[in-house]
Amino acid sequence: MSTAKDLQSLGDREIVELAKAGKEAAYRELLRRYERPVFSLVYRMVRDRTLAEDLAQETFVKVLNALESYRPEYKFSSWIFKIANNAAIDQLRRRELDTLSLDGSPDARTADEVEATALQAADHGESPLEELESRETGSAIERAIGRLRPEYRTCILLRHVEGRSYEEIAEVMDLPLGTVKTYIHRARLELREYLADLRT
Amino acid sequence: MTDKQLDHSDLDALVLRELSSLPSLAPSRGFQDRVMARVSLPKPAAVVLLQRAGAWALQPRRALALATAYAACVVATVLLAGPWAAAHAGFVVLGASWVAGHVGAWLDTTALAVASWGVRSGVVEALRSAAGSGARLWATVATVAIGYAASGYGLHILLKAPRRSDELARTL
Repeated sequence: MSTAKDLQSLGDREIVELAKAGKEAAYRELLRRYERPVFSLVYRMVRDRTLAEDLAQETFVKVLNALESYRPEYKFSSWIFKIANNAAIDQLRRRELDTLSLDGSPDARTADEVEATALQAADHGESPLEELESRETGSAIERAIGRLRPEYRTCILLRHVEGRSYEEIAEVMDLPLGTVKTYIHRARLELREYLADLRT
Repeated sequence: MTDKQLDHSDLDALVLRELSSLPSLAPSRGFQDRVMARVSLPKPAAVVLLQRAGAWALQPRRALALATAYAACVVATVLLAGPWAAAHAGFVVLGASWVAGHVGAWLDTTALAVASWGVRSGVVEALRSAAGSGARLWATVATVAIGYAASGYGLHILLKAPRRSDELARTL
């Protein structure tokens, strides 16, 4: 029987095969390997700890319950990052829709309610809670990442924080390689500008 | 190299340095357990097959059809075996007596072995002395009765408590 230490020396594909055979230790090894990278990515995308935990949990449940459908010709990391990124992007889109109600809530009955629920446009500035969380996770670079477009954010985090290759990022995001390189280049330019603004 | 270019390259280096120094964030304690509680581990193929067969057979119409088929098989066997046994009565009697002789011999040997073990190990003596003392006998009977009741209660609790595998089976 494989111990946790034996499992650590195996590659993702072998671990997935063991998990498919019903070994709980293999499931836990996959969790151990990816809980931090997945949570870090999702947290830096949505910038809300509770929400990030929920999304990371959903990602793992979805992936681990669908191991039978995993195709070994793809990297496991690409698969799990793709699902995590899609979950985070969906969440951001939903949040965007929630904040972009121009006419007020359809449930509003009085003029005051309509006025109270109507927003002219989404405010991309940070809320007090976001500011607090941004301070928790630290630095100016965290704030600057938070201001990037979601797709730039994913690219830059996967490339420079998780150390993934351009090819893997292209696979995760379903984008051509050239587009990924362009996104990373632009993201770095924007980060440079934000940091330059902070220094002046 | 101009000042502006130098600034840009410095800033670029700063961005890369800052990005690579970002900490890896961890979810809260118990994250793995919360995920594992929602993951259904694959069962061995034989178990899955047995469960599917069980689920298939337990549907009312199919269960009725299977029970009918089983009864028909039994009736057919009896109908075929009855006339055959009547036609070969001598053979049947010989076979039955052979089986009875072997089973009887085995029972005799086992009973003798148990009895001699009881005498040699002192169990018989202990039982005789326990029976001799009224208080001891009652204590033994009470202990056995309590043990029996406790086992029954434990079995009841075990069968009553929902198990995780049952919940998973229900959700499938």
